[in-house]
Amino acid sequence: MNYVIAEDAAATEAVILDHGTGARLSRELVEMIAAELGPIYIGEMEDSAILSLSGERLAITTDSFVVQPAFFGNGDIGKIAVCGTVNDIAVSGAIPRYLTLGLILEAGFPMPSLRRVIRSIRAAAEEAGVKIVAGDTKVVGKGAADQIFINTTGIGEFRRPPLRMKDVRPGDQIILSGQIGNHAIHLLSIREGLGFEQRVASDCAPLNGLVDTALASVPQGMIRSIRDVTRGGLCAVMHEYARATNCPMEVRRSDVPVMWETTMGADMLGLDVIHLANEGCAALFVDPDHAQAVLAALHLHPYGKDAAIIGSVGQPGSEGFHLTQKDGSVVEVEELLGAEIPRLC
Amino acid sequence: MDEDKIKVARKMAFITTDLQQDLIEKSPERIQRVAEMLPSVVRFLHQLRERAIPIIHQQLVYRETDHVEFFNGRIPCLEGTKGVEFIPEIEADKDIIMKKRKDSGFYETNLDETLKGLGCDTILLGGMQAQICIQTTGADGYFRGYNVIAVEDCITSTREEDKRRALDWISGYCGRVLSSTDIIAAYDAHTPIEFPVIYTP
Repeated sequence: MNYVIAEDAAATEAVILDHGTGARLSRELVEMIAAELGPIYIGEMEDSAILSLSGERLAITTDSFVVQPAFFGNGDIGKIAVCGTVNDIAVSGAIPRYLTLGLILEAGFPMPSLRRVIRSIRAAAEEAGVKIVAGDTKVVGKGAADQIFINTTGIGEFRRPPLRMKDVRPGDQIILSGQIGNHAIHLLSIREGLGFEQRVASDCAPLNGLVDTALASVPQGMIRSIRDVTRGGLCAVMHEYARATNCPMEVRRSDVPVMWETTMGADMLGLDVIHLANEGCAALFVDPDHAQAVLAALHLHPYGKDAAIIGSVGQPGSEGFHLTQKDGSVVEVEELLGAEIPRLC
Repeated sequence: MDEDKIKVARKMAFITTDLQQDLIEKSPERIQRVAEMLPSVVRFLHQLRERAIPIIHQQLVYRETDHVEFFNGRIPCLEGTKGVEFIPEIEADKDIIMKKRKDSGFYETNLDETLKGLGCDTILLGGMQAQICIQTTGADGYFRGYNVIAVEDCITSTREEDKRRALDWISGYCGRVLSSTDIIAAYDAHTPIEFPVIYTP
């Protein structure tokens, strides 16, 4: 696996400032991108995309992606840019339909690398079943950006009631859809050459299929809320729900699914996996009588085979994140003040 | 012997890491710590050469364009400078020199191929720093199927507590921690050095 972008941009075809001037080179660049996107691009090169939607309510989200390195095992910045936004739409209960695609390219970024990113966007969008409807490309001078930044805005439509944090109740079970920490350990390993990158792959994946599977497995309303566990990791999500519900989130560390090698890497770096970023993992808050049914359904999905019930929502009055350690002691986990590790999304 | 549970070292190679001018001269504490370790390393190297056990010196080499931590206001171990050179006590003609650019000695180097070519199944780790390059090379080697031995008296860190924590981590996750004396004694007595096979869930 080669994670390194060709360093000598002059030795190959590269993005230059003239690709961003709006003249012929700009047009050719946009045409190349549209051609690489193929059938998932349904824009008409007008100033606005005109869309048809069937639902009365829409879900809209936007996210910017600056991950470094831009290429890694099981993905790259293009795949993350699709999956991150698709997942934000999906966990609201909406069906992701359309994405916009904004590219900020640093002059000198190799054209083969750009093609690779666009092909990755196409593959991820095809898997998620979304179309690219509009886009923008800007080129900035050397040093004004770090190779490539991407913004995607997603539009989804509701064919079922939205999922909201406020619907979470005391006693609800908390399910994690997969192992945590892999994305962060994988990227840190590539950045520093730590030796874990071959064993621990990023979990980057579109989760809308998994969310559909989970929601279809139980009566409406039994899955109260879903959140993708990204920057800030499990700890950030637990604090977010504790604040929103005024209830403590009570989690058993021994039930949190973590790869052995990820634990090993995190321990080496002095990091706790509960703070590590993920790109293909969701936390589901489920009525206790239906948690096993949701878990069984998740286990049948390729991205949910490691799903586990990790804890429950406590009684109101003492918000916070309570973690039962493997020795049985319970600790109140503080929210991190700042980023424990940088630019992984 | 239950081969499902125990592996033994059959052919070893000693890998030294980062025993280079710039890296040692980063601080007075490092100079002192390496000086304390060096007699053990030199003795062990001599013993290994007498027994024709392969020795690989890993050399961190940076380029002007690399984004790395500056030492004393400049990029350390810059290609072509004196700072990239090994300290004179460790090199000998038949030793293998291998350049690297990241923490793990396996990362985008041909260390794996070299070890396989030598028929080695066991890596002995020495040099510095225990909590960075030794640990990551140990983990990487373990993942690639090698038996890993951290040679306790031939490894150092600027701070003793970092070395201790790193060696505890290696013995807990991926290898053994032995002294150079114990390794040579086992080799000479044909006593197998055993490794528990760790099954990852």
